[in-house]
Amino acid sequence: MTQIRDVLAAADPVRHECRPTEAERERLRLAVVAAGSRDDAPSTHTRRPVLLSVLATLAVIGMIVVTSSMSQRNGSLAQAAVRFEVRLAEDQPAPGLRAVRVGSSDRTVYVHPEIVVTNNDIEGSTVIPGNAPARFWIDVRLNAAGAEKMRQATANHLGKPVAILIDGDVVAVPTLKSPIGTAAVISGDFTRADAQRIAAGMIGAAP
Amino acid sequence: MNGLPFAAALPATLPHSAAERLAVLFDAHHERLYRLARRLVPTADDALDLIQETFLKAARAPRAIPSGFADEEAWLVRVLVNIRRDQWRKAAVRRRYHDEMRPSLVTGSDPEAALVARSAMWSALDVLPPRRRAIVVMHELQGLTMSDIASVLGITAITVRWHLSRGRRELARILKPYVGVTDDTD
Repeated sequence: MTQIRDVLAAADPVRHECRPTEAERERLRLAVVAAGSRDDAPSTHTRRPVLLSVLATLAVIGMIVVTSSMSQRNGSLAQAAVRFEVRLAEDQPAPGLRAVRVGSSDRTVYVHPEIVVTNNDIEGSTVIPGNAPARFWIDVRLNAAGAEKMRQATANHLGKPVAILIDGDVVAVPTLKSPIGTAAVISGDFTRADAQRIAAGMIGAAP
Repeated sequence: MNGLPFAAALPATLPHSAAERLAVLFDAHHERLYRLARRLVPTADDALDLIQETFLKAARAPRAIPSGFADEEAWLVRVLVNIRRDQWRKAAVRRRYHDEMRPSLVTGSDPEAALVARSAMWSALDVLPPRRRAIVVMHELQGLTMSDIASVLGITAITVRWHLSRGRRELARILKPYVGVTDDTD
């Protein structure tokens, strides 16, 4: 007679299936951490009801995946207020596009002249833990106007890069996996201090 | 605690924010929670959803999470099992084995015996209420003792023994005609 334990072990899906992919794990982690970041929002920002926070968290799932390199150049991120811009970008040159080096890397992208969103479109920003020790990301939440502008601009730009500029420098160039809505995460090799300076400096009128 | 390799060390510095704590919590526990979740639900996607719900609940109630690795994990396991119980109730998935499962098992033939046994066991598990199923899985697959399970789920060892006994009996009854299992009570 077979024992239940043996049949259970033989049937165990954990033994027979692949583990979740790294992308699935990251998506999950991002949603979880972003949910936590809502509780960390500075008191100067209106706290959302719990339900809205959860909905916002779910919206994060469909957002950008950032595979960026970060610039940490000569204290330029140390300003109290930073100029934040998001622009559409291309990998190939074209008339009207401006070539910009990505951080301290060798990569060059070609950014569009139009600014999609700027500091004025940000509702709040929070430093969240990244995917490695001592690495931090920034969870950016756009206001309604900013979210609409991002949705419209990114809907026809899937699979292409988007440039995130801090004080005029391209610090991250995520490739759009899906249209960006109300939230986005800027990931990269931020130190905690840099991430905090950027997050704090984003709020308010564009400098 | 037998069966759960609580070897991961706590972070050297305590996290500074709720988000950081959640990240630490996720990194420390999600793999073991996934293994439990996957054994409680029909598909891998369901398991990921269950994990997400569990951590979102943690995000909504950060002060409720105890400190210490084992206590954290026990809290998360309880939340996970409770969410699964709610899902079970809301979806009214407590279906009788004979209503839905028998046809798929009867079609199995000898060359497919292993597959049939696997399908039969996992279909039979779907009949168990989530907490009973969790107890069976924790004991039989994760090797936790009844005392360990009682501690994790916050119930008495007697209750664990009762659920385990009933779970085994139900599984044995359902599976006996097909794969010839016996209730191997300790």
